[in-house]
Amino acid sequence: MQDRNSDTNKSINLNSIRKNIDFSSFTSALMAILLGLIFGFFVMLFAMPANALAGFRYIALGGFSRLGDVFYFATPILMTGLSVGFAFKMGLFNIGASGQYTMGMFFALMAGFMLDLPNGLHWIVAVLAGMVGGLIWGFIPGFFKALLNVNEVITSIMFNYIGMYLVDMWVRGSSTMYNSTITRTNYIPQSAQIPSLGFTGTNVNYGIVLAILIGILLYIILQKTTFGYELKATGYNKHAAEYAGMRGKTNIIITMMIAGALSGLGGAFAILAPSGIPGSSMTYEPVNIIAANGFNGIAVALLGNSHPIGIIFSALFISHLQRGGTLTTLVGYKPEIIDVVIAIIIYFSAFAMIMNAAIGRFIKKRIKKEHTDIIEDIKEEIDNIEASNNNSKEAE
Amino acid sequence: MEKYIIEMINITKVFPGIIANDNITLRLRKGEIHALLGENGAGKSTLMSVLFGLYQPDGGEIRKNGQVVHINNPNDANDLGIGMVHQHFKLVEIFTVLENIILGVEPNKMGFIQKKEAREKVLVLSEKYGLKIDPDARIEDITVGMQQRVEILKMLYRDNEILIFDEPTAVLTPQEINELLQTMREFANEGKSILFITHKLNEIMAVADRCTVLRKGKLIGTVDIKDTTKEELSRMMVGRDVSFKVEKKEKKPEDVVLSVRNLSVPSKTHKKDAVKNVSFDIRRGEIVCIAGIDGNGQTELVGAITGLEKSSSGSIILNGKDITKAPIRKRSIEGISHIPEDRHKHGLVLDYKLEENLVLQRYWQPEFQNKGFIKFNAVRKYAEKLIDKFDIRSGQGPITIARSMSGGNQQKAIIAREIDKKHDLLVAVQPTRGLDVGAIEYVHKQLVETRDAGKGVLLVSFELDEVMDVSDRILVMYEGEIVGDLDPNKITVEELGLYMSGAKRDRVKEINDAG
Amino acid sequence: MSTLYYLIQNMLPVAISLLLVALGGMFSEVGGVINIALEGIMLFGAYFATLFVYFVQDSGLNPQTILILGMLVAAVAGLIYSLLLSFAAVTMKANQTIVGTSLNMLIPAAVLLFSKMFFMSDGITTSINFYIRKVPVLGDIPVIGPMFFQRTYLTVMIGFALLIISTVVFYKTKFGLRLRACGEHPHAADSVGINVHKMRYLGTSISGILGGIGGFFYSVGIMDGNVNGHTGVAGFGFLALAVMIFGQWRPGKIFLGALFFAFLRTLAYSVSLIPFLANLGIDQTYYRMMPYVATMVVLAFTSKKSRAPKAEGIPYDKSLR
Repeated sequence: MQDRNSDTNKSINLNSIRKNIDFSSFTSALMAILLGLIFGFFVMLFAMPANALAGFRYIALGGFSRLGDVFYFATPILMTGLSVGFAFKMGLFNIGASGQYTMGMFFALMAGFMLDLPNGLHWIVAVLAGMVGGLIWGFIPGFFKALLNVNEVITSIMFNYIGMYLVDMWVRGSSTMYNSTITRTNYIPQSAQIPSLGFTGTNVNYGIVLAILIGILLYIILQKTTFGYELKATGYNKHAAEYAGMRGKTNIIITMMIAGALSGLGGAFAILAPSGIPGSSMTYEPVNIIAANGFNGIAVALLGNSHPIGIIFSALFISHLQRGGTLTTLVGYKPEIIDVVIAIIIYFSAFAMIMNAAIGRFIKKRIKKEHTDIIEDIKEEIDNIEASNNNSKEAE
Repeated sequence: MEKYIIEMINITKVFPGIIANDNITLRLRKGEIHALLGENGAGKSTLMSVLFGLYQPDGGEIRKNGQVVHINNPNDANDLGIGMVHQHFKLVEIFTVLENIILGVEPNKMGFIQKKEAREKVLVLSEKYGLKIDPDARIEDITVGMQQRVEILKMLYRDNEILIFDEPTAVLTPQEINELLQTMREFANEGKSILFITHKLNEIMAVADRCTVLRKGKLIGTVDIKDTTKEELSRMMVGRDVSFKVEKKEKKPEDVVLSVRNLSVPSKTHKKDAVKNVSFDIRRGEIVCIAGIDGNGQTELVGAITGLEKSSSGSIILNGKDITKAPIRKRSIEGISHIPEDRHKHGLVLDYKLEENLVLQRYWQPEFQNKGFIKFNAVRKYAEKLIDKFDIRSGQGPITIARSMSGGNQQKAIIAREIDKKHDLLVAVQPTRGLDVGAIEYVHKQLVETRDAGKGVLLVSFELDEVMDVSDRILVMYEGEIVGDLDPNKITVEELGLYMSGAKRDRVKEINDAG
Repeated sequence: MSTLYYLIQNMLPVAISLLLVALGGMFSEVGGVINIALEGIMLFGAYFATLFVYFVQDSGLNPQTILILGMLVAAVAGLIYSLLLSFAAVTMKANQTIVGTSLNMLIPAAVLLFSKMFFMSDGITTSINFYIRKVPVLGDIPVIGPMFFQRTYLTVMIGFALLIISTVVFYKTKFGLRLRACGEHPHAADSVGINVHKMRYLGTSISGILGGIGGFFYSVGIMDGNVNGHTGVAGFGFLALAVMIFGQWRPGKIFLGALFFAFLRTLAYSVSLIPFLANLGIDQTYYRMMPYVATMVVLAFTSKKSRAPKAEGIPYDKSLR
């Protein structure tokens, strides 16, 4: 008898845990990460068995020795992650974060090189310019989706390419920006660089602070405002949103513009950041390649369950892995190992929730098998409800 | 011992949180028409899905001719000669009639389909039973009645001996229903055995030999039709005496609230207009019902009035204001409330909490928001008020996720939201679909109360009983036109059926213009 | 005339690659699975086939034999890689777009990782020549000869054969009928005893095979038998999706779409050879963007009346009938 009680308790606990959505999305993110890392380890083992353990240790722990860099490189993917996650809330898949990010970079570069502004103002204007660049590039898929009914995924992909080609052409065409001997852009003027936070040994700058603040702002918009209410309603059920008189088309365009602006800010934060050499900045190399940080944003958003606060942490985590990944070169691997791990993490997080639920069901089934009389319990319960229903009807 | 062709013995099927079939036994004789009666949610469809191999039972066994059989999928069912006409037709819309009939049992040589052979067999069957079809028409282009004939031919093509009809009459006109019942009789006379799922007592009395009644997943009993009455069957089905009549006072129509003139609405599925040059008025204090077979333009007409669809010509006047081109939100503010046809698609955001759903039409009003920020306290208080007033039952009150609520209570939530909102016209489309008798009574009561409060009510229904009982005036739609403006007290169901099938029509336009 | 021959000769290998991948996408989508992973599948097939070519190129085998063997390797590789999509999308009912994106990200990274570790480069470079100067007999036919049977690749003829086979399978076999039923109305298919999951696995597997072959043909016909992880297949997988939408999920129209896009691309890369265009002095980048821009124009005009398979992208769940 006692035994049975303890088991019932267990099943109740499991149930309440499974009902807690935040918790289950957290565990499924953990599961995806775990599977990604295990797979990464096997890849390393396959490629070079002798150094696999050492390499894996770098991936797992390497970031801790370079915390400043972790924050530094987390900034752009935090922004693209917020971008993808925000669009997700409305049921839109912003695979175009990459192109918006590139546009943001270009606009920020333009403002950095072409404008001559005082010290405290220049970088702010450059950051805002980047935001505008991304916003424009986010508007396009929103427009195509809302007014022409073209799937935003295809539009975004096409405009990733178009944006990349355009930016590369424009950069190469500008003698102020482009230095053909190093096939890269010049360093931008110091006044346009985002001020460093001043920690020694790293260039972590105000970008990360702003990015985190933006994350918190998005959280407030989503949870507390009528716009957030409309956005989520549309994401859950666009037909009901239309029925309730929400302006679905306008909201699609606004959402994609905000998502684009966020990615654009990511590009600006990345390109306007001061780099390792004093007085220098990051540079852009026009080599006809789609920006990877846009796609990394997808991983960040998925791991953070599209929740702005969750995305802040997942961006830091992915950045941590990436720092570790660059360290694996010390034992003969290449940084691309992390891209493999990230891709695997995305793969599994696409069905981690379902996997979680399946495991939950499995556990439940085990319990059911141990107590086949659970059916009897349900029957009893239904009979009780029925009886009470009948009673209440008679009372009427 | 009696010989049965199919026996389902002690069948139990459990879904998470509910026992859909609880220890049910059903025996089917060869050559009989056996009705399976029960309310929505009584477990009829589940039981038939078990027989057809779509679900595996958690307990019990199935026997054919006394032998225990295991039906793991529709193929097994087909091998045993069991065929089914599903309530929602299982037809591929872009395929032709012929392709749909042979799908799954395609005559082929080395994988290549032999259409000629198939066509001959289909035409012979079609001829023999008078089931008229065009083998080369696409499903999307043919009428619902013909689609059902395709479903029946699917079974005949497979030489099925045991035929299951799941609510086959819901989509037909009274005349078509008669034809179908005759065809079923013909099958039975030929020695085929028929299971006929329905909740319509008249049809059972007309055609069935025996009837098994289910209620809330339990077996109530099996009776011979010749030894029973309609009243007894209904008592078995519902568990208490039911009055089929809706209690309501004489109508007192006042001034016009909605006026539709020469309205046309384009169709999304074909090139013609779905609604053609329709004109009518609705007054305060009356329930006007749009009757007709599904797919004759009702959805489009309602869409044009509520704003979900665009009209191509004509005008819609609400309270003297032209709202023909107004956005949905504007129409809502001007006084239209809308209980939508599909509560899951349009009526609710299923992943939102109940309280969030209850303010779906009002979250933007100053009562619930300030400078763009939602006043969650006000939302909670309002939700609690509605839950109390409309008796909406749910697990956790205002914070229950809508998805986890029962269908009846989801519908109550929508009705509460739409009726409590300021309105002059209530548009209700199939508001009782899928509900049990208790909930249906509740909905009808709310509609009548709304009318008595001096609002106009536009009701769209495919249930003839509902049309006859609830409405004060009936407008019949046929192929996008209004072909009759009738008084429910002065016509019979049969007459109504003639209008619905297009066999009879009045010159309604003139009547309207005159009035 | 010679410019026209030149354009057609250069266009066909591009068109065939696009055609095969788009047909692959079609088989996957009419079965109900959105295959955005075609880009990754192409690169995966191309990489393994090129790896195979790299190892056998000095064995003295006839180049055309090597090409056919390489094609088989690419088909198997594409098939295997597509199983990752099928597993996630069909068995695990995952979001098909996200899974596809992850598969697209995985392959370039893996190619770079291994190439950098083992070949000290971004990819694989082969030195074999698959080029056919002139097909005997057929190449001598006037007009047709120079268009289709001179300065070409075996891939073109294989591609046409695969187009015919695909069309017949799609329209004339019970497999084609059943597969299309699964993408349009899986519950209807299930109710007549068709195993929806199995059919969807088959559909994506065919797309894996065709995608892998298309990827290898891309590296043969466009990259001179090389592969690298940086540029990958340059968005051809995505262009193929656009071709498929352009072709409204039907083989014949897809073929026309492939020709159209290949023509644009060939034109973009041949600007300097066409005096009229070269004299305009427009930056070449604009021409290179043309296929992507054209895609958007085409989609803007076609998507409102699109006949996409009704159930595509929706995992099949028996209980939701």
